Amino acid sequence: MSAPALSRQMILDRIRAATLNLPSEAPMTAELSRSYIRRGKLGVQDRLKLMIERLREYDAEVVDCAPEELPAAIGAQLALSGRRVFIAPEGLPAQWLVAGFDWKIDRGLENAEIEQAEGVVTAAFCGVADSGTIVLHHSHSEGRRVLTLLPDWHLCILRANQVVETLPEYFDRCPSPPVLATYISGPSATADIEMTRIKGVHGPRFLNVILVRNED
Amino acid sequence: MSGTLSGRQVLDPRHAPPFPVAALPLLRNPQLRKNVAHATDVIQTKRARLVAEKTDWQELRTAAAAIRSHALEHLGSYLEEFEARCTSAGGMVHWASDAAEARAIILELLRQEQASEVIKIKTMTSAEIQLNPALEAAGIHAYETDLAELILQLGEDEPSHIVVPALHVNRSQVREIFARSMGIKDLPDDPKALTAAARTYLRQKFLTIPTAIGGANFLIAETGSVAVVESEGNGRMCLTLPRTLITLAGIEKVLPRFQDLEVMLQLLARSATGERMSPYTSLWTGVTPGDGPERFHVVLLDNGRSSIVARPTERQTLRCIRCAACLNTCPVYRQTGGHAYGSVYPGPIGAILTPQLMHMKYAQSLPFASSLCGACYEVCPVKIDIPKVLLELRAQVVNQERRRAARLRDPMFIGMKAAHAIFAGARRFRAAQRLGRIALRPFTRKDGWIRSLPGLGAKWTQTRDLRGLPSQSFRQWWVARGKEER
Repeated sequence: MSAPALSRQMILDRIRAATLNLPSEAPMTAELSRSYIRRGKLGVQDRLKLMIERLREYDAEVVDCAPEELPAAIGAQLALSGRRVFIAPEGLPAQWLVAGFDWKIDRGLENAEIEQAEGVVTAAFCGVADSGTIVLHHSHSEGRRVLTLLPDWHLCILRANQVVETLPEYFDRCPSPPVLATYISGPSATADIEMTRIKGVHGPRFLNVILVRNED
Repeated sequence: MSGTLSGRQVLDPRHAPPFPVAALPLLRNPQLRKNVAHATDVIQTKRARLVAEKTDWQELRTAAAAIRSHALEHLGSYLEEFEARCTSAGGMVHWASDAAEARAIILELLRQEQASEVIKIKTMTSAEIQLNPALEAAGIHAYETDLAELILQLGEDEPSHIVVPALHVNRSQVREIFARSMGIKDLPDDPKALTAAARTYLRQKFLTIPTAIGGANFLIAETGSVAVVESEGNGRMCLTLPRTLITLAGIEKVLPRFQDLEVMLQLLARSATGERMSPYTSLWTGVTPGDGPERFHVVLLDNGRSSIVARPTERQTLRCIRCAACLNTCPVYRQTGGHAYGSVYPGPIGAILTPQLMHMKYAQSLPFASSLCGACYEVCPVKIDIPKVLLELRAQVVNQERRRAARLRDPMFIGMKAAHAIFAGARRFRAAQRLGRIALRPFTRKDGWIRSLPGLGAKWTQTRDLRGLPSQSFRQWWVARGKEER
């Protein structure tokens, strides 16, 4: 046996010996105590209100709009930002690419090009109101991980029916686990110097969210 | 960069002085104590507020403890499951039985990559195996990218906290370190400017260095995925931009299922930094073409952990998710800070983890660095009964000392032996009481208190007064009382 295989065997043998005398009829993970809260109690409006409140606590900019107003709302946010060059994931809906801005569609953009863009617009997989978290599973409309990392400004479009109240409710929406996921709870931050919270260390300094109401 | 890393002191339990010795200079450093007290106060206040808003906090703790215990009790199967899933997703899994082997595996991987520089995500495990000095010795420069780790690396300092490793350094000290090592004149000392300086300094490194080394908060057996929780985005940079990523993780980090994260992620940030969730949590599975590194390696580190699994009381130590809530609440840590523990794992969790990782051959003073007040147990999100483990380890240390030849010169041992002999018989006990009363009389003041004793006894009276022996023992009083009544 080669040295690495030997270490593997040695470690597994040590663990097996260490756990040998434990009851073999161990509970399955599904049977472990899970008496914490799974489902939230808020109605739709309160749930969305909480999501907005929590996002704002992180200094994220949040606006809401009706579905038909979305392109206009995107245009307004982009204009307000004072920026011009934006990245869009390949699968971003065409009507979101509002005119008047310089769009770089990601068909394998180099990191240097992404870094030079001033902002990025993406969809999301889910929003968790309890912690103000935006979940990306990096589908074609959410973009590769690097797209929402290098630009300094991120506009995320979240639909009302994507917002859940509790974290376990998000897990219930994942019948099969994601291969890639990023959970964003506010802009990049640090408190490493005297516990003073500073926004924007390496990730985007500005997180903007448009919440699209009245879906379905 | 001076590159003198290999020449400086590292936190190594094998060479660290015992806790009481190491703590003294720190207790005499008012600046350090002020910095530590401020940081731990801030985190504790935020934590308390966010824990209070969770009405199911205790249920979450119970679930987390059950999940982590279950994972440890079936560690072998879950590790094999993780290995199989990670491998089929394009990752490479390596097993390291100790620190030296882990360093050798990583150096070999870096040699294959022809790497002369690496970017690093904060990982305590890498400090545990003393990776940076080994990299430096092999001519590979490591850039720490976490702000606190960067402060420590540039300041040639060591971590003193698990979550906020540079909490003992204040803003003007950071300013000095950055101004000197980044060559920036006129750098103001406000945290915003200092953070911006770090951003500029590291941005080019992220974009140009093709190899990264990081740790893991969780390994998911069910999917072979790895999760990293962070605040700054330096982690995401290291996980996304390089061509090759090497993850070093303790074997205990494994969780059975993806869904178990719903418990851990609710507990971790609230306990660690007093946030509902940390700004960034990243999850990836092996290699994804077109998104992130082309090559992904996981090094699974044992380094003493499997022997902890074997012991029923101590096994719970490995449930730890490194939130450091026990440090922030510990009355001992809050006075001394982290360096006194002589280990990258300080505070209550370090006091039980470090000596066990050292197979109880080093760091034996750490289980005694506690008042056993139990605050650590109360805040622990995975319900590790730290006081219970401390007591168990103390018993083991005492047993070790009992077997040592030097015990015959140890006053504590001699005193205990003498006490054993005296308490073993009523006559001996009464004789000792009489003798004691006579011997202590010259030192006892009129108010019945002893203010100072000579010799070994001075060690006690140096910091506290001692009640003199009463003129009559309880037994004498009882007998006399019986006679009076008759």
